[in-house]
Amino acid sequence: MSGSRDIGRDFARRLLRNRLAAAGGLVVVFFFLVAAFPALFTSQNPDRIDVANILRPPSAAHPLGTDDLGRDVLARVVYGARVSMKVGFVAVGIATAIGLVLGLLAGFHGGRVDAVLMRFVDIMLCFPTFFLILAAIAFLSPSIVIIMAVIGLTGWMGVARLVRAETLSLKERDFVAAARAQGAGDARIIFRHILPNALAPILVAATLGVAGAILTESALSFLGIGVQPPTPSWGNILTVGKNYIEFAWWLSLFPGLAILFTVLGYNLLGEGIRDAVDPRLKGR
Amino acid sequence: MRRPSRRFAALPALALFAVLAGCGGGKKEAPPDNAASVPDVPAYGDMIVEGSIGDISGFLSAVTSDSASHAAAGYVFNGLVRYDKDLKLEGALAESWTISPDGKKITFHLRRNVKWQDGAPFTSSDVMFTYRRMIDPNTPTAYGDAFKQVKRASAPDPFTFVAEYARPFAPALESWGMDILPKHLLEKYPDISKSPLNKKPVGTGPYRFVEWRAGEKVVFDANPDYFEGKPYIARVITRIIPDQATMFLELKSGGVDTMDLTPPQYARQTETAEFKKSFNRYKYTASAFTYLGFRLSHPFFRDKRVRQAIAYASDKKALIDGVLLGLGQEATGPYKPGTWAYNPNVRKYPHDPARAKALLAEAGWKEKDKDGVLRKDGRTFEFTVLTNAGNEARAKTAAILQQNLAEVGIRMRIRTVEWAAFINQFIDKRDFDAVILGWSISPDPDQYVIWHSSMTGPKELNFVGFANPEVDKLLEEGRSTFDTEKRKKAYFRIQEILAEEQPYVFLFVPDALPVVQSRFHGIRPALAGISYNFNKWYVPKALQKHRIEP
Repeated sequence: MSGSRDIGRDFARRLLRNRLAAAGGLVVVFFFLVAAFPALFTSQNPDRIDVANILRPPSAAHPLGTDDLGRDVLARVVYGARVSMKVGFVAVGIATAIGLVLGLLAGFHGGRVDAVLMRFVDIMLCFPTFFLILAAIAFLSPSIVIIMAVIGLTGWMGVARLVRAETLSLKERDFVAAARAQGAGDARIIFRHILPNALAPILVAATLGVAGAILTESALSFLGIGVQPPTPSWGNILTVGKNYIEFAWWLSLFPGLAILFTVLGYNLLGEGIRDAVDPRLKGR
Repeated sequence: MRRPSRRFAALPALALFAVLAGCGGGKKEAPPDNAASVPDVPAYGDMIVEGSIGDISGFLSAVTSDSASHAAAGYVFNGLVRYDKDLKLEGALAESWTISPDGKKITFHLRRNVKWQDGAPFTSSDVMFTYRRMIDPNTPTAYGDAFKQVKRASAPDPFTFVAEYARPFAPALESWGMDILPKHLLEKYPDISKSPLNKKPVGTGPYRFVEWRAGEKVVFDANPDYFEGKPYIARVITRIIPDQATMFLELKSGGVDTMDLTPPQYARQTETAEFKKSFNRYKYTASAFTYLGFRLSHPFFRDKRVRQAIAYASDKKALIDGVLLGLGQEATGPYKPGTWAYNPNVRKYPHDPARAKALLAEAGWKEKDKDGVLRKDGRTFEFTVLTNAGNEARAKTAAILQQNLAEVGIRMRIRTVEWAAFINQFIDKRDFDAVILGWSISPDPDQYVIWHSSMTGPKELNFVGFANPEVDKLLEEGRSTFDTEKRKKAYFRIQEILAEEQPYVFLFVPDALPVVQSRFHGIRPALAGISYNFNKWYVPKALQKHRIEP
């Protein structure tokens, strides 16, 4: 037990020593706080319409200006963080769960199960994901739940492959053979011996996946088939901004920056985690 | 969807995009700056590029129902009659007409020497053919009702056409503004919507069809044999640009010569001296209105007091300021302010949340749940309003109404649906609580198809299910006399009843905001807007930008 704590401390030290990763982590934590406690960052109601103050540039009352209905852009960006985080985490949660189960099954059982599951992964990978999502949403009505589900259900293949590969190599290792010799069943071997050792690459994939999911959600909302107004999301604020980009730059700039920093943050953090868990991978 | 388009307005129809070029008391902003410097004489040549949000679906206006298609058809085809600059009917393919003293028989005297663009002569047999196809069940048209009122049609000679009605039918004359179709080219197609002419039209109109690239552009060239003389502008290109902001950038860079501005573009982006030098903006009341319509069989909306409460809760001033940036006016009924059928003295619903709450309480909505939403008999007052995707003005309207209704304890959810699905799955199946939509208003005030209780069937236009015996009677009266005073009385009373009943909460009448590159001269804004005299627009020789080889 004390051994694993040492590994954890080692990991944290390596992660923090990587400045970019630490910065990424900081950004992630910041937006996480914004999403969790929006009231700390703005006192305005993101849905309050004020027709007397339409498309006003940044000012003391509205630090990031107002949108085409006089709503406070800061408040909308802050509450939009909630949508982005929620979509990011839930979608990646779904994708990771599915990928984990299928990857473990395929890797551990091998043979026909493996062949069938991996061909299924190949089939899923044949679809251009974004268009698959567009098509799915055209049939269902766009809502945040549907968006999360669809992004999750179309994003698990990478995780499945990763987990399968890890499982394939782990199950041949001596400690698995030892466990089996002691009479451990499949379930015990999978959950006590293989899964914990496969967690690091999954964590990396999930962190990078959150960035991808946030981008996808923004793109869908930008196209008008994601999170539906008046619920603010960074993507749909940008859609409105596009119409006025010539003179109301604040409406496009700030949600754009929010997307940029969040995605960058998750990517840097993800890569940092990868480097920290496996120094040999550094620079790859 | 049909709007009073380039050349005439017909039946009322659902407006996909509120308001673009339309009818109204025209007002131009400033005289053309460069009028003085070049000799301002009409000249042939040059081309005009107009921006259109939507692609067209076909050229035979009988079987299309969107405004872009009707505008395109207007270049190629003519009706027997059309609206002039003062929105009075004048002859087009008909030189003149007479109405019998009992009002039941209209005799059209057709123009002689009109040729179809393929050289065949135009005669009364083409009119007869068009009439037959309008009443033919194989023709998928939304505009058949007026033609079904004809009891007997005859073509006694090649240049006379007679339509007889069982009783006087006021919208009859307007209905003959329908595009007349070439019999010799369409005869062999039982369903004209599937004929090649719907894609490559041959008409009698001022322009002949050159090319249609789906989703990209439609091209027309001037018809040298047009019966009113060759139009000045040699070529018309309708470019399909499905995004208002992109279209505006194209306008400024010279890729588009004319478009309809959005209120923010008009109010915030075109006020510069530079813009005003290159473009002329126009502003007039559009022939359209936007409304919140209820499914009247819905348990909440069956009660008149609830509908009135929602009318009081709706802040129309905020809608006009927020959605239209002040470029529009309050709607009080389904007619255009300032026209003869418009009744200004009906019950009004100023923004009054207290009164709305009182009316709701009277209707039994007294308790509130923990979120402040009203409850009655265990049901909370929440409903979904539908509107079509891609219409920014309606999305904003919905957002403002949502806030207005929340103030009085009603939770309104918003759902936007793509247009085709909106019509097919929700409107036609009556599967909605409430909708935010618009109607274009035709110059004739007959709105039988929208309000009569017999028009509630599938695909019919009284989709809210409004049924009021007095309105039914008045609608029948209004369409069965040519006496304007009598008609006015009927329509005034209809507006009083509609204002009292609020089957729709009438929200606003927007302004049409067309803009035209300033090298185009001859534009004379009038009650009918600016496009009624499009054939007389011209570019003085010195200002011509394109050379069109004949």
